Amino acid sequence: MRLAFWLYEGTALHGISRVANSMKSVHTVYHAPQGDDYITATYTMLERTPEFPALSISVVRGQDLARGASRLPGTLEQVDEHYHPEIIVVAPSCSTALLQEDLGQTARHSRVDSDRILVYDVNPFRVQEHEAAEGLFTELVKRYSLEQTMTEKPSVNLLGFTSLGFHLRSDLVSLRRILKTLGVEVNVVAPWGAGIEDLRNLPAGWVNVLPYREMGPGVAHYLREKFGIPSVHGTPMGVKPTLDWIRELLEQLNVVAGEKKLPALEMPPLTDFSLDGLSAPSGVPWFARTADMESFSNKRAFVFGDATHTVGMVRFLKDELGMQIVGAGTYLEKHAEWVREQLEGYLPEPLMVTDKFQEVSKKIEDEMPELVCGTQMERHSCRKLDVPCMVISTPTHIENHLIGYYPVLGFEGADVLADRVYTSCKLGLEKHLIDFFGDAGLEYGEDGSERASNGHAAVGSSGHQEGDGAQASGHEGDAYGMPWSPDAEKMLKKVPFFVRKKVRKNTENFARENGEASITAEVFKKAKEALGG
Amino acid sequence: MTSVPGTTQIIKEDNVTHSFCGLASVGWLYQKIKDSFFLILGTHTCAHFLQNALGMMVFAKPRFGIALIEEGDLSRQEPALDDVIAEIKADHHPSVIFLLSSCTPEVMKVDFKGLARTLNTPEVPVLFVPASGLTFNFTQAEDSVLHAMVPFCPEAPAGKKSVVFIGSVNDSIADDFRSEAEELGIKVGGFLPENRFDQMPAIGPDTVLAPIQPYLSRVVARLNRERGSKVLRSLFPFGPAGTRVFWEDLASMFDITVDLSERENAAWKRISKQVDLLKGKRVFFTADTMMELPLARFLKNVGAEVVECSSAYINKKFHARELEALEGVRVVEQPNFHRQLQDIKQEKPDLIVTSLMTANPFVGHGFIVKWSMEFTLMPIHSWSGVFTLANLFVSPLQRRENLPEFDESVWLKGVMPSAE
Repeated sequence: MRLAFWLYEGTALHGISRVANSMKSVHTVYHAPQGDDYITATYTMLERTPEFPALSISVVRGQDLARGASRLPGTLEQVDEHYHPEIIVVAPSCSTALLQEDLGQTARHSRVDSDRILVYDVNPFRVQEHEAAEGLFTELVKRYSLEQTMTEKPSVNLLGFTSLGFHLRSDLVSLRRILKTLGVEVNVVAPWGAGIEDLRNLPAGWVNVLPYREMGPGVAHYLREKFGIPSVHGTPMGVKPTLDWIRELLEQLNVVAGEKKLPALEMPPLTDFSLDGLSAPSGVPWFARTADMESFSNKRAFVFGDATHTVGMVRFLKDELGMQIVGAGTYLEKHAEWVREQLEGYLPEPLMVTDKFQEVSKKIEDEMPELVCGTQMERHSCRKLDVPCMVISTPTHIENHLIGYYPVLGFEGADVLADRVYTSCKLGLEKHLIDFFGDAGLEYGEDGSERASNGHAAVGSSGHQEGDGAQASGHEGDAYGMPWSPDAEKMLKKVPFFVRKKVRKNTENFARENGEASITAEVFKKAKEALGG
Repeated sequence: MTSVPGTTQIIKEDNVTHSFCGLASVGWLYQKIKDSFFLILGTHTCAHFLQNALGMMVFAKPRFGIALIEEGDLSRQEPALDDVIAEIKADHHPSVIFLLSSCTPEVMKVDFKGLARTLNTPEVPVLFVPASGLTFNFTQAEDSVLHAMVPFCPEAPAGKKSVVFIGSVNDSIADDFRSEAEELGIKVGGFLPENRFDQMPAIGPDTVLAPIQPYLSRVVARLNRERGSKVLRSLFPFGPAGTRVFWEDLASMFDITVDLSERENAAWKRISKQVDLLKGKRVFFTADTMMELPLARFLKNVGAEVVECSSAYINKKFHARELEALEGVRVVEQPNFHRQLQDIKQEKPDLIVTSLMTANPFVGHGFIVKWSMEFTLMPIHSWSGVFTLANLFVSPLQRRENLPEFDESVWLKGVMPSAE
């Protein structure tokens, strides 16, 4: 048994609820103790849903267990009467799964037609969020998709877009804009916003597009086997991946067009993809070549997240911005092999695979990179370490559910990512000035509670859910435990404040390796020389 | 306030949904009791709940954690927690470890009492706290925590009459209670809980227990039974009327007669603007935090119409005075949410006090809401809390008046495609 404080991936119930909350007329009933519908709050609060999420609970109470009573049939009837769903998904929670009840049998005691009840009985101790979500999505597609005549015009199904997905809304807009420019129609988006009728119509789409490794491939596989629909698997994250993605899509669509004896789709002029139709579709290629970005090229980045965004971000940083990757990792063990293949040649060391945030935090502390791309947990860890961090993957915080347009996919996504990298890191020329003149008047105290020109501190102060986070910092001053003489402290003060912690740590490591018990001015000087300033 | 208790009819329905389980109490209790560690024997679900719904982030050294039951642990009825406890002791040096139950180990029939006993040492007690959603709602696990702490309250000898306030509040509220009591000539014996486990209040036969949170009936009953302490049976100290009655009743238990009506009038005066706005407003409580009874009573005092006051659990004895004061109001225990939805649709209240899970959807349906959870986290106690309390109800009403017209067919488009 292990002691856990925080976990990256959500539960099976969370995965199921993401699908149910995405879809029209699909309602989920949890057979669970009171409080397990806490999950509802993640939708009403993070996505600010103006309607009740399609999630109900048939409460299991201790006394019911003793009496052998079940509220499930009654709850199903109430849900039916109130929400009129086309299908009700019944799912156990971790505790009720142990009761080994036959939920199908119990559900049949309700007046709801059993054809409209789907018992999705995954083992919550074995299956987690993503697998449960994709499993249910696939189950629903198998149940409803029907042989259809293909749409007349070239069309795609956008698969895998799911409630609480990372920057879901903006990415959908970004891809829709590209498709519109190409003259390609969207047949169905699923599960986000899809109803049962949409699932029936899936086979009318020419090509399935599934940008997410975690959600969609199972469905695409089924649709290919059953209806012969080809799929495009790539993630258009970054400029070149977006161009490749468009080319592959056109290729696949043109195969169908050829069969239908329709004219082939052509790649339009790239300016057509821009917002005004006149400009370059992305500012990234030029931005990456500017002298300003030149000073970024030696910056070291560490990336951690789900499979899709970890791969996309590592490639983007290295291929398009020319940054150094010091390491990468994922919390999705099931997809680790795929991530390794995708990042072959990108990483200086083996991929980190862990669901323990402490290990990731330790790694960041050891590396002290200039940029971390991670989940909300890495942002939290980085705040304590005063390392710049941008969030690129779920799990997210309310700060990642903004109302503005911030895609990470497509051309516009590349621009957003580049901007985030730029504003997260300490800036180039400014850094030289600070290095040269010491603190350059930018001293804000060692706790890093305020920092210049990266907007990070301002974001932190608005995160009310993390309001107490700042209290956690401030212990670092003596974290490594070696005594420093006043002279040495004075010298340390002359080091630019944002590298001070790193210098303190390196100096102490140097001292330890050289058998010193404390840091004097002499030791500090030696360390400085040995470590190259 | 002299009518016979039990005149308010309580309608009992079948369940509470859209509220949290007892583990939610960890959110404030680990911060309150500063030398504690809260260990939940639970599953991924418990961890996901704490980190998501409560938005609880792990700090440098969080003083709560989950002994995670994974698939391989299911076959063992006696979980081996020794290593976990050793890790906690080494990293956190707590004075006490609270071992909280959750649904899965309860279904597994883990013998929590026995487990706590084997882990317990004189230096670091390990106390079992029942908290699972199979039995306990939201704030109720605070009752379980205080209940578990009772044996660690020193025995106060007879003859020393003092008040011990029951309920977790922050330092500034506690200071207010202390100075108010002392001003009235009431000796203060302390608070349960205090900020530290090693500073528990002494409780004995001449202790007067004054519950200041409305969800702590079990600990009060236990202390009354085991220590012979007297229990203040009054209104809870919320709002001008409740606060006056609370202090007058408490004083009378110390044979002190005070008339605080001037104080009450002054408090009403301070919130006269808020009262004007709330007068005649129709308010619906859907049940969440178990603070509903005194909050509804405050609104009734103000002259608002409480359309329904639902609460997860109502204890006829512990809540007797509040129930009396709510006479004429529809009071529901364990409400059925579907029935509430129908009633709300018909009765169209001006304000709905409801949980995080339902607040925005009610707004989407055109209603004005207040998060019920805010009342558990804001300083609304006693005289100094009156203003804050009134404003919590007033601000959503006022704010809505100042917002522009809203055409939902335009501005809700695309927000939740599954609902379109």
